[in-house]
Amino acid sequence: MDFLLVNYILPRLDLIELFNLNQFMDFALLQQNYFKMFLPEVFLSTSIFILCLHASLIVTSRRLSYPLVMQSFGKLSVLILFLTFLLVNNNAILFMLTYQNTFIFDLLSSNVKQIILVGALFCIIISENSLIKQQINNFEYFLLVLSAVLGLLFLVSSYDMLSLYLAIEMQSLCLYVLAAAKKDSSFSTEAGLKYFILGSFSSALLLFGISFLYGSTGTTNFDNFHLLFAGIDSETSSLTQSVEIALICIMAAFFFKIAAAPFHMWSPDVYEGSPTSSTIFFAVVPKIALFAIFLRLFQFVFASFEELFLFALVFFSIASVISGSFVALRQKKLKRLLAYSSISHVGYLLLAFAANSLEGTQSLFFYLVIYMVTSLCLWSVVLSLDTLTNEKRSKTLIDLASVGSVNPYLGFGAMLAFFSLAGVPPLAGFFAKMEIFLSALSSSLFFASTVAILSSVVASYYYIRLIKTMYFEKKRENSFIFPVNRACSLTISVAVFFLLYFFVNPYLLLLLAQKMALCLF
Amino acid sequence: MFFLVEEYYPILLLLFISIGLACIILGASYFLGIQKPDTEKVSVYECGFDPYEDSRNKFDVRFYLIAILFIVFDLEALFLFPWAVSLSHIGSMGFWTMIDFIFELVVGFVYVWKIGALDWE
Repeated sequence: MDFLLVNYILPRLDLIELFNLNQFMDFALLQQNYFKMFLPEVFLSTSIFILCLHASLIVTSRRLSYPLVMQSFGKLSVLILFLTFLLVNNNAILFMLTYQNTFIFDLLSSNVKQIILVGALFCIIISENSLIKQQINNFEYFLLVLSAVLGLLFLVSSYDMLSLYLAIEMQSLCLYVLAAAKKDSSFSTEAGLKYFILGSFSSALLLFGISFLYGSTGTTNFDNFHLLFAGIDSETSSLTQSVEIALICIMAAFFFKIAAAPFHMWSPDVYEGSPTSSTIFFAVVPKIALFAIFLRLFQFVFASFEELFLFALVFFSIASVISGSFVALRQKKLKRLLAYSSISHVGYLLLAFAANSLEGTQSLFFYLVIYMVTSLCLWSVVLSLDTLTNEKRSKTLIDLASVGSVNPYLGFGAMLAFFSLAGVPPLAGFFAKMEIFLSALSSSLFFASTVAILSSVVASYYYIRLIKTMYFEKKRENSFIFPVNRACSLTISVAVFFLLYFFVNPYLLLLLAQKMALCLF
Repeated sequence: MFFLVEEYYPILLLLFISIGLACIILGASYFLGIQKPDTEKVSVYECGFDPYEDSRNKFDVRFYLIAILFIVFDLEALFLFPWAVSLSHIGSMGFWTMIDFIFELVVGFVYVWKIGALDWE
């Protein structure tokens, strides 16, 4: 009887107290601080739930004659992202670890979150119109974009291998579905399937690496890893071999997710096959979150294993720069070309990563933001190329022909964006590239930076060729050209302003990037 | 390596026992049972379509949908069991986490129901 009381009845008494108001108040007090930090995420997820319920009740309602909610949902998601941005921006606490150290809130995470939210907001604004044009009438599209953003927010502030893995899975599951969003197109379905299979393979690698880490150390927390490996001697310690295998697996997953060269095969196919609105999201938003978390992982948590990953970073950087520049020369489809160009830019970013210094990380964040702005500009140009004859098919390079004379402002914006990507002086892209090369040179990466500079010469050939197509080639057939919609023209003009402004006065962004980089060193 | 033996020895034991038990159960029903097969008995049970036929046949994608939804709610039950057993140790935090999880699942359930994924016709 005593046994029964101790083991079964007494513990259950806690349960009764659980519903006690007093204890609930304690719980609420405990939650208050966490909630202050998690307010943006809580707000975003609650809004996703409300949107989901709202839509599933309204769309199926016979009384309202099955309304289409795409337009209102686009506006609502923009509003939600904006409010989330304000909540992140308004956070008073500078540094905090929450929920048994599984999440971290510092300047790096909050700044990256703001950049992600602004990027996602602009993505939705510019792609809203193309969604309606492509007759993607699933309200789930916006829910998936919002959930991907939620996953990215969790990813940026995750401080434990488990939360990292869950957040990566959350965002990539949403991205797989976004790639296959146009259900009646076999290209889109193929892109989704390819992305899913290869992406889940890389997630499996990540999980394998994490399991190695857990098996050899018995912990998954970044803080514990950081303390455990601080000043470890890789020659003598018996622990290092399995940790090195784990780090190689994790690195492979990371290179896959950001599409660095030997693991880049999926990205041109996925970029081309998926609907343009999803491609914009893939191209603009997730990279900065992945870079932020893996910078934290390699430069802060596993900083003592630097000779292992610096070698890999330099190798992957050179490979992506070369393959991104040379393979793009032969591309005829616009989206494929931009995919290869993004691979070469990942190469430059990895070069800055490999510099493994404060300046390197600072220039990496600087470059990432500039690259985001430039690609937002470019993708809105791509969205504005629709004519009556090419509306349905994916755009080739010849669709750019005579844009310069048909729509001079659009042509000017595209020209500045291409010049900025190529790194031509009076634009922000030049500054960003210069910063990266300077930081790489000051870390004595002479060979890698020479290769990167030479390949960027090759890459500037195809950017300049695009400009030549825009200004000096005539369109063969005449066609009705749709006017550029307001969101795209707004985005292009804002982006062009920033490209010019950051050259004149880069200090604002450089300071922000330095603030983010200082969290890691 | 010694800690491996120490820590995982019960699991190894469990593995052997479960393999043995599976062999015993299957073998017993194979050798002791009376076998009188007819077409009804050997046909596929509860599964919709024949696994051994021409692989080029079309079949309904709704099988997959039902299977996926089943997995989701099956996993919910899987989470609920250890939660219920360890509820006295995890405090109010654990309790409300699960309530939140169930609430989120309900949102998904309402969506699935309303959108008509559960209707067969």
